[in-house]
Amino acid sequence: MMRLRGRGFGEHESLVMAIVNRTPDSFYDKGATWDDGPAFERVRRVVAEGADIVDIGGIKAAPGEEIGADEEKRRVVDFVAAVRAEFPDLVISVDTWRASVGRAVCEAGADLLNDAWGGYDPGLAEVAAEFGAALVCTHTAGVTPRTRPHRVRYGDVVADAVSSTVALAERAVALGVDPASVLIDPAHDFAKNTWHSLELTRRLDEMTATGWPVLVSLSNKDFVGETLDLPVGERLTGTLAATAVCAWHGARVYRVHEVAQTRQVLDMVASIRGVRPPARTVRGLA
Amino acid sequence: MAREGGPLIVATAVCPSPPLLLRELTGGRDVAADLRKACEEAVGGLLAAAPDAIVVLGADERSARGVRGRIPLSAFGGPGERVPAAEALPTSLAVARRLLDDLGARVPVEMGTIAFGADPQETARRGREIAARPGRVGLLVVADAGARRGPRAPGHLDERTFAVDGAVRAALASGDTGALLALDPGLCAELLIGGRSALQAMAHALAGRPAAGPRLLYADDPFGVLYLVALWPGERP
Repeated sequence: MMRLRGRGFGEHESLVMAIVNRTPDSFYDKGATWDDGPAFERVRRVVAEGADIVDIGGIKAAPGEEIGADEEKRRVVDFVAAVRAEFPDLVISVDTWRASVGRAVCEAGADLLNDAWGGYDPGLAEVAAEFGAALVCTHTAGVTPRTRPHRVRYGDVVADAVSSTVALAERAVALGVDPASVLIDPAHDFAKNTWHSLELTRRLDEMTATGWPVLVSLSNKDFVGETLDLPVGERLTGTLAATAVCAWHGARVYRVHEVAQTRQVLDMVASIRGVRPPARTVRGLA
Repeated sequence: MAREGGPLIVATAVCPSPPLLLRELTGGRDVAADLRKACEEAVGGLLAAAPDAIVVLGADERSARGVRGRIPLSAFGGPGERVPAAEALPTSLAVARRLLDDLGARVPVEMGTIAFGADPQETARRGREIAARPGRVGLLVVADAGARRGPRAPGHLDERTFAVDGAVRAALASGDTGALLALDPGLCAELLIGGRSALQAMAHALAGRPAAGPRLLYADDPFGVLYLVALWPGERP
């Protein structure tokens, strides 16, 4: 059982987490939702398309202009409050590594802290515990936020991802976070080359076997682009292929740009796995 | 009235046997809800006539008597444990079994099949056998009409089917056993009217006499197969 915003989700329920960037410079949408109006429109659209979670982020992952905690809060806190007011049941996640930002967004109504930089600020898990929020524990091999991988090496990248995310998860629970509200994320592309991300996808069952619900963030990333030799904007098919494999291995939450397409893939894989009936079957049965 | 203890068919029902009447097989959306409801009304009518036993005659590849077995959902890819072929009910009887179970039927049920291709001698013999069974019998005939009613139909489109299906439909609506006996086995086989032999055995069981107060409860072809559901109430000694 996974619990988010007080709601339980069974082991065969997969959730779509829609990315909502409050940044002028994110790699995929290049600031499309930097302003409040378009950002709100995106929230409404992804909810209509079936998103279970929105993941609001104020700082792009790649290196760039330094954004302090105050500016990050300025970008996300009021927006979280406004989304909370309009969508009382929606699970709101905030993508941040900073405890101070985590505290401010939890006060504004966030339910989930997506610690995309792997516990860089150890205070973030304490904030989650204090506010009864959920927490995503990601594998970034201890790198500094907003750095690109450079000649990264692992003895076994999957074993490293499993041991470090499980350790973060256990620490969070020890600090008082509800064990049903802790997710782990292998963090494709973060502190990894494409080979590493492909191997994590191939062996994702080793992460789901830990019993912690697994979140994957695959959407339009460089490992897809390098694998297919395609630029940003042409990576949806590859993203969905990786999504299908992760779904087959039992990942539970999918952080995505394209909600409707992801939902279709997840439904299709769930039916192939035999955990969701097809919508309507007549062929050969009439 | 027949004499005490003598043979008596107390009511007759006709249902089709698409596997999608088994709710587990239709997926998230119940595509056959209306049809299933009509079938339940027909079988409910049989049970309401207070029979001593329900005799089920279903069309199948081969003729058989005293058939027992389980509903083989797994054979259609459905949920549940795999049912070995030797224990699997034919589709027509599986559908009948499910309808009777869903209605909580408590009377004894005797199930048999008649081959799709049974000739007039066999259908007559089978009908007389049913008519001669002692006691009050509710007769449930599981019989399908044509499956070639459009380009998306299982048997694609054969324009000839509309006249023949129309005759079957009219016969069930009016209780016309003679019209059922007049169906041509060869043409029905070509049109995938799998229920022809079972319907003719039924007509013989009712001694070729017209039914009183026949009711056609469903007649539609949402998936290219004509489904007919009928209830012929009234005692038929």
